[in-house]
Amino acid sequence: MPFIAATRSLGRAGLFSLSVLRASTPTRDFFAELVREIYKIGARSLPIIAVGGAFVGLSVTLLGYRALETYGASNQISALVGLGLYRELAPVLTALLFVGRAGSSIAAELGLMRATDQITALGLMAIDPIAKAVAPRFWAAVICVPLLTGFFCSLAITASWFEAVHVIGIDGGTFWQVLKDAVDFRHDFLVALEKSAVFGGTAALVASYVGFHAEPTVEGTSIATTRAVVNASLLVLMFNFVLSAFLFGK
Amino acid sequence: MSVRGPRLEFAVGAFLLLALASLLVLALASTNGKFGFGAHTYPLKARFTNLGQLRTSAPVKIGGVVIGNVADIQLDPVKFDAVVTLAIDDRYKDLPTDTSAGILTGGLLGESYIGLQPGGDEQALKPGEEIAFTTPAVDLIQMVGKYMFGGGGKTATPDASGTPSTSMPSSSPPPTSTPSTEPTP
Repeated sequence: MPFIAATRSLGRAGLFSLSVLRASTPTRDFFAELVREIYKIGARSLPIIAVGGAFVGLSVTLLGYRALETYGASNQISALVGLGLYRELAPVLTALLFVGRAGSSIAAELGLMRATDQITALGLMAIDPIAKAVAPRFWAAVICVPLLTGFFCSLAITASWFEAVHVIGIDGGTFWQVLKDAVDFRHDFLVALEKSAVFGGTAALVASYVGFHAEPTVEGTSIATTRAVVNASLLVLMFNFVLSAFLFGK
Repeated sequence: MSVRGPRLEFAVGAFLLLALASLLVLALASTNGKFGFGAHTYPLKARFTNLGQLRTSAPVKIGGVVIGNVADIQLDPVKFDAVVTLAIDDRYKDLPTDTSAGILTGGLLGESYIGLQPGGDEQALKPGEEIAFTTPAVDLIQMVGKYMFGGGGKTATPDASGTPSTSMPSSSPPPTSTPSTEPTP
């Protein structure tokens, strides 16, 4: 019965997410772990996000200029770049880069903990392995991904400004003014942060669920890593459509 | 780990500071800055027979300077007028009662906005009051059509299929991009 099996695994994932939320108690140990995880999955992801953002900004600017020039509206390039970034590109691409950079490492770490019986050992010492190993990673992702999205946007807009003003030759004042007029603080900027918090939480939950329940073998760890990246990326893309349909689909 | 503790915390702190600073700069430099902390605006109403392409959150300007935006658009169920609610910045409280409002378009095909023309009355509009003098949106295509088909043409060709030329005495041929189709004598 594939349907029943699928429903059961969905239920297991839901119960796992619930237990992560319930295990998140603000103790001193939790904050120490949280700081470590923010460093590992947040601060260490900065370079890839920065470089990725810059190149996305450059290519979107080129693409948009080509399309807008047809209608003599190349002045509006920053509106296109800004709205496209805040509404769709920055949250999704940051989340995908984050999945590849940090989701895989979360799954591998937890899978290895499972394979070397560390999770069982924590349980034997009456330490909740979810509270010790999973909850800090989840909250670190929820905190870090919006911040990384901010970095992504800054670098992308800076790169776009460079391309548009210094290479294509659009007026710098026009660039910033059009951008400011087009991007709404609440409906574009905050939405980008909300979206990326959801994506960060999703990525961390999927990665830790897959790693936590990995086969306790070397192969199981590698399978868990692959599945974490594949499942988390697909979920991020699907959630993005659902969120966009609800937020912008009027 | 105990050796790396303080340095780790410093690294995380630096990351968080940098990230928050970058968010702040982004919010200030790249958004319209409507942070929504308290409503420093007051409402005014205006009725229009035709809104054209006007949508909510379109700007309201006096002399090209933005002083507010369109907060809401409703259709009066009795008079079938469009009732537009404007949210005007609190700094511009003393708009005279004989201020007039018009729906204008930036550029040839640009976005619609509401242009206010302050009058000379000494009394000011109170919050929630209605602007009495309004000009509806100008439909450019209709105007071009009237100009094209309304001017008394000399050649009455029977190719006016569905063009609004019933009330006009005679109609000139519609403009076509290829001059070869025009019946030049």
